[in-house]
Amino acid sequence: MDKLQRTRRRRWLLAGCPLLLVLSMLYGLMYGSVSVPLQEIWPALTGHSNYSTIVFDLRLPRILIGLLVGASLAAAGAILQGVMRNPLADPGIIGVSAGGGLAAVITMVVLPQFSYLLPAAAFLGAFGASLVVYAFAWDKGSAPVRIVLAGVAVNAMLGAVMNGIMVLYSDRVQAVLPWLSGGLNGRSWHHLSFMAPYAIVGLLLALLAIKPANLLLLGDDSAQLLGQKVERQRLLLILLSSLLAGAAVSVAGLVGFVGLVVPHAIRLLLGDDYRYLMPLSMIGGAALVVLADTTARTWFDPVELPVGILLAVIGGPFFLILLRKRSQWR
Amino acid sequence: MNAIQTDTLVYEAGRFRLHELSLEIPTGQITAIIGPNGSGKSTLLKLITTLIAPESGQIVVDGKAVSEYNRSQYARTLTMLPQAKDRLPELTVRELVAYGRSPHLRGLRQRLSDEDEQIIDWAMRVMSIRRHEERMFHTLSGGEQQKARIAMALAQKTGILLLDEPTTYMDIAHQLEVMRTLTRLNREAGITIVMVLHDLQHAAAFCDHLIAMKDGEVAASGAPKEVIQADFLREVYEIEARVSFEEQYPVIIPVVQPIEEESTMIIVTNISQITKGDGDKLIERFDRIGKVEAMEGFLGLEVLLTQNLKDHDEVSVVTRWRTKEDFQNWTRSEAFKESHAHRKTPEYIISNKITFQEVKVKRNPILTESQDLQAQAQ
Repeated sequence: MDKLQRTRRRRWLLAGCPLLLVLSMLYGLMYGSVSVPLQEIWPALTGHSNYSTIVFDLRLPRILIGLLVGASLAAAGAILQGVMRNPLADPGIIGVSAGGGLAAVITMVVLPQFSYLLPAAAFLGAFGASLVVYAFAWDKGSAPVRIVLAGVAVNAMLGAVMNGIMVLYSDRVQAVLPWLSGGLNGRSWHHLSFMAPYAIVGLLLALLAIKPANLLLLGDDSAQLLGQKVERQRLLLILLSSLLAGAAVSVAGLVGFVGLVVPHAIRLLLGDDYRYLMPLSMIGGAALVVLADTTARTWFDPVELPVGILLAVIGGPFFLILLRKRSQWR
Repeated sequence: MNAIQTDTLVYEAGRFRLHELSLEIPTGQITAIIGPNGSGKSTLLKLITTLIAPESGQIVVDGKAVSEYNRSQYARTLTMLPQAKDRLPELTVRELVAYGRSPHLRGLRQRLSDEDEQIIDWAMRVMSIRRHEERMFHTLSGGEQQKARIAMALAQKTGILLLDEPTTYMDIAHQLEVMRTLTRLNREAGITIVMVLHDLQHAAAFCDHLIAMKDGEVAASGAPKEVIQADFLREVYEIEARVSFEEQYPVIIPVVQPIEEESTMIIVTNISQITKGDGDKLIERFDRIGKVEAMEGFLGLEVLLTQNLKDHDEVSVVTRWRTKEDFQNWTRSEAFKESHAHRKTPEYIISNKITFQEVKVKRNPILTESQDLQAQAQ
């Protein structure tokens, strides 16, 4: 990649990603069990149409949730990959999502009356898991490989505990199951209202994290020589990715691959610069989840596939192709 | 006035230690830190840059203890070019050099002012990489990459610049260019420069002050011509060489010394006369007793069978030992007793004679390859 090529790609993606997001949102608003013609969308959104119930009450909140979930997961993945200097770092892989998931399952199963606390619980769980991973990987500085190894172990443990709880409380599990497979089925304005504040704060903070994330790319020593408080920033960035992953997990359950595939695709096309990587990952992640969710609920009618399953099915091969195309993969 | 002063620094990591290291690095000069591998040069730089923390002792930079600086303030006072180990992201040269401005930007601000841009231009001009500014860093040659990294450190505009082996992996033209540029920076911009160097030629020709380290301590310091002398090479690098100076360049000619090794050895010969045709039986018996090889000081063993004598065969067992005591230990050992005590002397042995010889061994090896390499390295 030379500079000219990069500049061209930046322009394409800066225009293409938002366009793709808008198109996927329109697609989501228009299609479903009932198709709504394009010219009816605006009246429906403003309440002047027969389609208002479907478009405004059912489809819009679900699309907005998909948007926030996708943006949060992609941003969390982009941050973790930089912080841990490891391309495999993804909230789903190193146990951050699993921590959030476990906390959410406990809340839903043991304390069902406190469901409005789900995002907070998921955030705390995600943060707890990242702290455990970080503490185990710490040895006079944190080595990226150790973080991933510790993350995989923590992920497995948390998964086991989650399964254990589900066996023990099998009578209450019915409510949890669809949530666990990672989907947006039946999500409404109510769900949006409790997760949106966390996600929006997280996304804004992620935009502020661009500078430290860029500096960490140079390596710990160089970042410190440039005046950065490396370990503190790393901790803050992990905290931030926990907030983002927790917000996504609390409403959508375990949706994988977004945090891995989207930032990677952008990185392969544009390089590591977070000034582009961060916002484009957010928009790309949002577009991907909205698109995938609409596909998952329309193509297999009358069955609604959880979006997590569809994302894994299309995300895996996509990732493998990208991996193959890149010659000097590290 | 000293730019950097360390006071009884103690640092330990595994087998390596800096023991109460106190040294001074003068302001406005070029100082080279030299010494063999593992002598603590890079560790010292890491301590000064606070990349690692000492167990005790203190470092004073520009008259102020390092602990009194905050991080970004320190990054505007002193910086280092680390050894090129970290993989850098895909960036243009200009973007990399621009990173050097980050300690001057407040908080999370990223936008560069006109002044910042001018400083970036200046840094690239000084390192003569301006014409590459729009190229991707990783497409540059090794020497040009190094110059770009130095430019990034220059863009930090610190009064003190540390460099860890700046000319390693460069060809001689790039090496000289970098050394001359650093000299110019020092003379014209008054930047205090401290670098770890392996090349004594560069150290002597371009530096005002040398600090030689060995085993975590300062072995010598002073002006190059005073420091680089035959005794210094013997003490610090453990080599014998003649040193003379051609202008400011030292000419170091390693002296190849004939190495003579002298040692002694004991040869024990046990000759048995055996009835004609039975020599093989005795040898077979030896084959079953193999414990002598494990003995301390055992150097070797030969068993010789002579069958061309008229009325008997002869078996000689020759063992070689480092000292007489080593052989005696063998005769007193359990293994020896086991192989002799419980057996009757077989009838086929007619007579038995043991002789001892103490011999002197003199070796005069030709120059080996590794010594040859050592001589080249110097």
